[in-house]
Amino acid sequence: MGSSVSLAAAPPPPVAPPPALPVGLAQVLPQKAEEKGDGKAAPEKVDWLDLPCPVPYEELQREALMSLKPELFEGLRFDFMKMLNQRFALSHSVYMGSMEVPSQSSDVIKVPSSHYEFGANFLDPKLMLIGRVLTDGRMNARVKCDLTDNLALKIHAQLTNEPHFSQGMFQFDYKGKDYRSQFQIGNNAFYGANYIQSVSPHLSLGGEIFWIGHQRKSGVGFAGRYNTDKMVATAQVASTGIVGLSYVQKVSEKVSLASDFMYNQMSRDVTSTFGYDYILRQCRLRGKIDTNGVVGALLEERLNMGVTLLLSAEIDHGKKDYKFGFGLTVGE
Amino acid sequence: MASKVSLKVKGKAKAGKGPKSKEQSTCELVKEWTTWAMKKTKVITHYGFIPLVILIGMNSEPKPHLYQLLSPV
Repeated sequence: MGSSVSLAAAPPPPVAPPPALPVGLAQVLPQKAEEKGDGKAAPEKVDWLDLPCPVPYEELQREALMSLKPELFEGLRFDFMKMLNQRFALSHSVYMGSMEVPSQSSDVIKVPSSHYEFGANFLDPKLMLIGRVLTDGRMNARVKCDLTDNLALKIHAQLTNEPHFSQGMFQFDYKGKDYRSQFQIGNNAFYGANYIQSVSPHLSLGGEIFWIGHQRKSGVGFAGRYNTDKMVATAQVASTGIVGLSYVQKVSEKVSLASDFMYNQMSRDVTSTFGYDYILRQCRLRGKIDTNGVVGALLEERLNMGVTLLLSAEIDHGKKDYKFGFGLTVGE
Repeated sequence: MASKVSLKVKGKAKAGKGPKSKEQSTCELVKEWTTWAMKKTKVITHYGFIPLVILIGMNSEPKPHLYQLLSPV
C-alpha cells in the first residue's frame, strides 16, 4: 500500500517509417533529420525477437484493480507489523465492526463481529512464506518458491475447521523470454492453464482454459493488454459469458484515472466503474463511482514514521447501505 | 427349474464381478489413500504452517532473539 503505480517497464517507442535515402540536395542538407531526432525520441527499430516479458495473466488488470477496487472496510481496523529481521516479520491485526452476511433478498444483513488475526511472514528472494490465523480457526497460507530461474511454484490454501469449506490451489509458473505460462491444480478437481505472449513491444495477448471436475464445467477465455508509458488498456472475454474491459490513464506522476466495464451475459448484468488514484507524498487517495450507484473512497495518510491512518467510506445508494471505517497501521 | 435358472444367473454374475472387483478395489484403495493423505495434510498444515514459518524465520540471519518474538517493541 502506498507504493506508486508502476506500469510495465518503458518499452521502446513505436517505430516511424525509416527515412527515405536522401537524394540530390537532401544529401547536402541533413539538418532536418537531426532536428526531428532532437524534437522527439529517436525512433528505434522494433526488434521482434527481443520483446519484453509480459505481465502475468492474473495481473493483467492490476493497474485498474489497484485504482478501482481498494480494500474498503467498515468498522475499526488496527494492523501492527513487527519486523524481527530483514526477512522475518510478525503481524497482529484487530478488526471490530459489522460484517455483511450474504442474503437472498435485496436486504443487507449485517452481523457485528470482531476478530484478531496473527500472522507470520518470511520473505526471501527465493522463498516466500505467509501464514495468517484468525481467532475463529480459519487459516490462510501462501507459499511462493522459485524452483529455478524461470519456474516458480505458488501454493495458496484457506483452511477452516468446518469440513468441506477448505480450499487449496497449486500453481506452476513458467517464465519464458517473451511469454509466460501457468498451470493450476485446485481442490474440487479444478484444473486450469493460461498462457500470455508479447506480440509487440506494447501489446500482449493471452488465453486461459479451465476445467472443474465436480460440476463437469469447462471454460475458455482470451485476454489482451496494450500498454504504453501513459496508459494501459485491457480486454477479457470468457466462455462463462463475461466480457471485461478496462482503461487506465496516467495523467501525471501523481494522478491516475481508471475506468472499467463488465458485462455478464448469464445474469444480464452490466457495470461500469470510474475511479481516480492520487498518490501524493504523504497520502494516497482513491475514489470510485459505479453505475450501480455505489460511491467509495479510501484514504491512507502517513502521519509519522511508520504510522498510517486509514479512512474508508462506501455509500451504496441502490441498496441504501452506508459503510464507514477507520483504522491505523503501524509498521509497514 | 426356476431355482436352476436363478442359480445359473447368480453364478454368471459372480464370475462377471470377480475380475472387476479386483480392479475396483485397487482404484478404491488409491482413492482412499489419497483422501486419507489429504485429510492428514490439511490438519498438519492447519496447525503446523505458522510454527514452521516462525521456525524458519528465527533461524535466518541475523538471528532474532526469543524475547523479540513476544514483546511488542
